[in-house]
Parts: sequence; C-alpha cells; structure tokens
Amino acid sequence: MKRMVSILLSLLLLIAMAGCSTGDTANNGGSTNNGGTSDDGGSSGGDSDAIKIGIFQPLTGASAAGGEYETRGIELAHSLYPEVLGRPVELVKVDNKSDVVEAATAAARLVESEQVDVVLGSWGSSLSMAGADAFEESQTPAITISATSPNVTLGNEYYFRVCFMEDFQGAALATYAAQELGATKAAIIYEITNDTCVGVRASLVETFESLGGEMVGEASFSVGDQDFNSQIMAVMAGEPEVIFIPGNYTEAALCISQARALGYDTSFMGTDIIDVPAFLEVGGSDVNGTVTSTFFDPAAPTTDVGEEFMEAYSSTYDDSPSALSALGFDAYLAAIRAIEAAGTTDGPAVKDALYALEMDGATGALRFDDNGDAIKNQVVLKVAQDGEYVYYDTVEVNLE
Amino acid sequence: MGSNQTVQGRLNQPGASSHKNRNRILTAVTLVIFVVFLFLADQGIILDSYGVRIIRLCGVYTIAALSMTLINGLTGQFSLGQAGFMAIGAYTTSLLIIPPEVKEQMYYVTPIQGWVRDMQAPFLAAILIGGLLAALIAFLIGFPVLRLRGDYLAIATLGFSEIIRVIITNVGSVTNSSIGIKSIPDTANIWWTTIAAALCITLVYRLMKTSYGRAFKSIRDDEVAAEAMGISLFKHKMLSFVISGFLAGLSGGLLASVVGVINPLYFRFTLAYEILLIVVLGGQGSITGTLVSACLITAGKEWLRFLDSGFSIGPITIPEISGLRMLVFSALLMVVILFYRRGLFGSNEFSWDGLFRLIQRTGARCKRLIRRGEKGGAAK
Repeated sequence: MKRMVSILLSLLLLIAMAGCSTGDTANNGGSTNNGGTSDDGGSSGGDSDAIKIGIFQPLTGASAAGGEYETRGIELAHSLYPEVLGRPVELVKVDNKSDVVEAATAAARLVESEQVDVVLGSWGSSLSMAGADAFEESQTPAITISATSPNVTLGNEYYFRVCFMEDFQGAALATYAAQELGATKAAIIYEITNDTCVGVRASLVETFESLGGEMVGEASFSVGDQDFNSQIMAVMAGEPEVIFIPGNYTEAALCISQARALGYDTSFMGTDIIDVPAFLEVGGSDVNGTVTSTFFDPAAPTTDVGEEFMEAYSSTYDDSPSALSALGFDAYLAAIRAIEAAGTTDGPAVKDALYALEMDGATGALRFDDNGDAIKNQVVLKVAQDGEYVYYDTVEVNLE
Repeated sequence: MGSNQTVQGRLNQPGASSHKNRNRILTAVTLVIFVVFLFLADQGIILDSYGVRIIRLCGVYTIAALSMTLINGLTGQFSLGQAGFMAIGAYTTSLLIIPPEVKEQMYYVTPIQGWVRDMQAPFLAAILIGGLLAALIAFLIGFPVLRLRGDYLAIATLGFSEIIRVIITNVGSVTNSSIGIKSIPDTANIWWTTIAAALCITLVYRLMKTSYGRAFKSIRDDEVAAEAMGISLFKHKMLSFVISGFLAGLSGGLLASVVGVINPLYFRFTLAYEILLIVVLGGQGSITGTLVSACLITAGKEWLRFLDSGFSIGPITIPEISGLRMLVFSALLMVVILFYRRGLFGSNEFSWDGLFRLIQRTGARCKRLIRRGEKGGAAK
C-alpha cells in the first residue's frame, strides 16, 4: 500500500510540473481564444458544422520551436478570422513529435479520425513529406508553411507552400553577393545533415558560378558539431571575399566565432535558419555584420495584412515576431480565402480554389504556381548588429 | 500467435495433458478471431486507415524488437546497432521498389547514379534483399565488435550504427543525402506486416528450440561455462548477430513502405533506444513479451493522444498541453517497471496455463483483500 501511495504522489507531482512548465504556452493559447469567438466548445467534440483546420506541427521534440512559432501565426489569424461561410472554424492540433513515423501516423489521424478540411504544416520538409500521401489519398488540401524542399509539393497536387523554396533562397544569396557586394571569390561551409542546407548549397554554387564568380572552398559540418577549425582553415586557403554558411544557428554562430578567434574577418552570409535570437546570443559580438536572408521583416511590413499581423502579434506576445509566425498567418488566410471562394469544404474544390487564389498576405502578395508553390520574387536581407537583426536590403530574383 | 507452440513448454507439469485439448482449442479460436479481425480491418469495416496504420506499425516494431530480443535477451550480447541495420534495410528496399523515373526526379541536388536508378525488384524480394544486406553488414561488423563484452559491445555497435548513418548522409548520389527518399510505394499492407511478424516470431521461436538456440542461452547465462562445454562463443555470437541484423533490415524495409518517407535523421541512436524500451518492457528474453510490448507501446502512444488536446476529468478541466501525452506515457512505463522489474513477461513465454493460473491467483488475492478489509471494518 505504501508503494501505491508513493507512486500516486510522484505521478501527481509529475503532472503538476508539466502544468508549470507549459503554463506559459497554455495562457497564450487561452488569451488568443478569448480574443476570437468563444466557440472552442470543449475538447474533442466541437460543433458538428464547424469547419476543421488541422495544425500538423512538431509541438514536442527537436523541432518544437519551429512548430510553436508557426502555430502562433495560425492561432492569431484564427482569432481575427474565426468564421468562414458563416460557420465557425475549429483548429485541431496534432503533434508529430519531430519524427517522420509519428508524422505519418499523425497525418492519417488528422484526415481519418478528425476529418479535417484543410491541413496547415508541417515545419520541416521531411515531416511534411511524411504526411503527403495521406493528404493526397484523402483529397485534403495541405499548406506547408516553411518546408523549402521542392520534393514536398512535387507530384502532389494537394500540397501547397506559402514560403519560397530553397533553390530560390540560394540563388538570391548568390546574386546579392555577386552583384551588390561585387564578390568574385566565395566559399561555403554548409550543414550536410540538413536537407534544406544541402539544397541551398546546390543552387547557391550554381548561381554564383553562372554570374562569373568562383567558389574557392567548400566544407561541411553535421548538426551538433563543436569544433570548426578544420573547415575554416580549409576554406580560408582560397582567400574568399565572402563565406556562405547555410546551417543550424548554434553551429553557424560557433563557426563564425571560431573564425574570428583565428583572426579572419571575412563576412559571412546565412539563410533563414539563423534568423533567430538564439544565433545572436550564441555568437555575441563576433557575428556582427553577418547577413541573413529571410522571408519577412517585422520592421517594415509591406502590406495592410502585414500591419494587421504585427498589431495582433504585439498585443499577444512580447517578443518580435518570427518570419515563421507571419507565414503561419498567411497559410491560415489562404485556407480561409480558398474555402470562401470555393463555397464549400469539398477537398477537390478547395484545391482548385487555392490554385486560382490571389491575395495579400503578411509576407507580401501570395499566388500559387502549377506545382502549388508560392510565387515569390523577394528575399529580405537582415544584418546582425550588437545583439539584434536590422533591416539590410531586399533582393529581387526572377528564376526562369 | 506463437502461443500454440509455447504450450509445450509447460507440458511437463502435472495436469498439463488434461489441458492440452483445451489449449489447442483456445489457440485455434484466438487465431480465427485474429484473422477475422485483420480481414475486417483491411476492408475498412471496423477500423479506418489510421487504425490500420497503427496495426501495421505494431507488426514492424515487433520484428525490430524481436531482432534486439534475439541478440540482447536470448544471447546476452548488449547490442545497440539496430538503427543502422534498419537504415540499410529501409534504403535498400525503398530504392528497389520506387520506379526509376520517380527516383530520378527526387534526386534534385546530386544526380542519381545509373545503377541505383535502374535497380528494381518485386516487394518480397526487395525486403529480403534489404534484410540480407543488413545481415551481410552485421557479419562484417561482427568480426571486430563481437570480441567485446557488455557495455563495450554496446558502445561499439552504437558507434557502427552511427557510422552507417553518416555514410548514408554523405553518399548523395546513392541515398539522396539528408534530403531523404519519398514516394515509397505503400505495398506493406496489414497482411504483409502481420504475416512477416508471425513468420519472424516462428523463426526465432524455432531457432531457440534447436541446439543453436540452447547454445545462445548458455552463452547468455555463463560464457565461461558455455565455452567449457565446448560451445564456440564467437561462432554462436556471430550467428545470433547476423540473424538479428537480418530481422532489423527486414523491419526497416517494411517500415519504409508503411511510412512512405525515410531520411537519415530518423535512424539516429534514439531509434535503438526506442526499440530497447520495447524489449525491456516486454521482458528481456521473452518472445511473446516482445510482441505484446511492441503492440502496447505503438498503440499506447497513439491512444494517449487525447491528452494533448485538453480534456476534463469531472469538474477539473485540463488545458491544451502539447507533450502531456509523452509525459503520461513515460510515467506509466515507470509504474510498469516498478511493479514488473523484469519486464511484463520476464524471461517466460505466454501460455494458456500461465494465463489461467494468473487469473486464479489474482482472484484469490482479491478475495483475501476483501476478507481482510471486512475484518478491518469489523475491528473498528
């Protein structure tokens, strides 16, 4: 009996601890719901005539931060536009645990058990792809928010994407370095364990060389690496004028710090992955001058929807919005607008409406091409300066 | 499944022969019910494709866990290399069953090598080749690592599994690097996974009845004594390691087909821990325990999903907390391990006689408790 009691007590303690640690998120969610209608109508039941939108995100595990930022954007948009076709919209969250097997099961759950009408997500290309078959089979349109791999939407007419693709980002960085900075010799240190970085590297090298530049060094690292001296020495041998560093923020910041410690002051350029406060914290003053390409600049929203998003975000959260939240906001709006245009929640009709959709989102004008990819021609560049990112430039690239 | 043979394990006990017929009938009835259940599930009558997917995963994880039970629980060699072998099986099977034109489209960063693009095999051959290739790699790795014991062996196999993953990440023209492989045909339906799991269970069960199996067990119990009895340690450890590699490769191939997408990141060492969890919960050295625990863990994680979306117990409403599911799941596992220190089945196998004894014992215990409660009430 004593043992039973002690086990029960420890169970209670565990649950209480869980409540404390995630209390912050839960409060945020609560206030969002209050801002909208009061239709959250309980846990699982919900209104029978509600339009269900599934949130397919890594809410726990290694990529939980990405999932959290995207979910914030979706919830903000939901609080502003809680109804479509005169019916309330219900958000159904399913956690894919940053794991492809869980993601495939979670996707099946969304379309089979929860019977959602549209799916938003997931963060990460491989997680999104794990759900792709389930969405196509059940004819449920899905909109990925920040998965940049071409493979996500390729050959799947029900998968859409609101962000730009990795080849576009690589091309934009290379074009800017070659044309605006006038660099002729560049090197690249990329993260080989990240699918997006491998894709960015391919298009970056190709574009830079086609613009007359020369790649004088190339090295790679894996996520979790701590020491980058060998990579730095290898690429510095070619005396590059700029070094591209598509890779995870912690490793990128460490690499730049170590390059500075070795006495090199070559400028670095990274991708949207390093557009997070953690990069600036890890790198400190060493990363000053590092340029990053990203989707959205909170300091200068280009559309009315962007301003609306900024207003909603700053009234709910204290920090500066991540580009992921802005894209999440756009994905929800695209889903709502498409359902409105289709006049029904029937999968194929909503899919056709998405292809025909033209709207202004928080990150600029949004339109999908025949593959379901957002047609974008702008990349925002930001530069790290004393612990924060400031707007640097906007690059326009037109891929053929 | 498997229970029809396990009955024999108890036959030497008094009164067992009188239960023989009853046990046979029970086994037959269970099997028929199970097959009918699978048929109805496959037709979509009692389960949607979400439920069917969970049953398919149960089969896949049973085979993966069985591979670890064989080497860890039955041969006593603490190996953590399963994730690497599963990766080999998964990649081989996927590349063999995806049509060439789909493969070519997918390799958009590093162009695919001609022979990888053109290789094709029917599904059954593909999973077998995946398993055999994993077995071959296990054979090669076995030479250096099987000279180690205990924790050192665990570290070495874990290291080799990571090496396999790093190689897969870096050979872009064969494995598509970290981008991974998608559009893997969904061939492994509920019959494929269940029959494969049943066959693997039978294989391991039969194997343990042979002289090889007894040699494995003697190595587990005491290496020195086994060697003194004339058992070649290296030969038997290698055999167990290679069969374990084959099973892991097979489960990897089936997993790839069930999930549809694979990437190197999935085959990290955490996968080996997940399988180890199944083996420890089921009882190291119990084949039926592995089966029960694989199904419990796979289905349990999904069943607990309702915890994530907020719910209410009477007047208390619990808000939406993502991750609560995994927390409760871990707590439940701890409770189970507290009560069953050697796993659910220990090193025993399931048998009908055992089940009836358990029911009798539990009934008697309940009666005693009630009686004691009555006495206590009277004393007050």
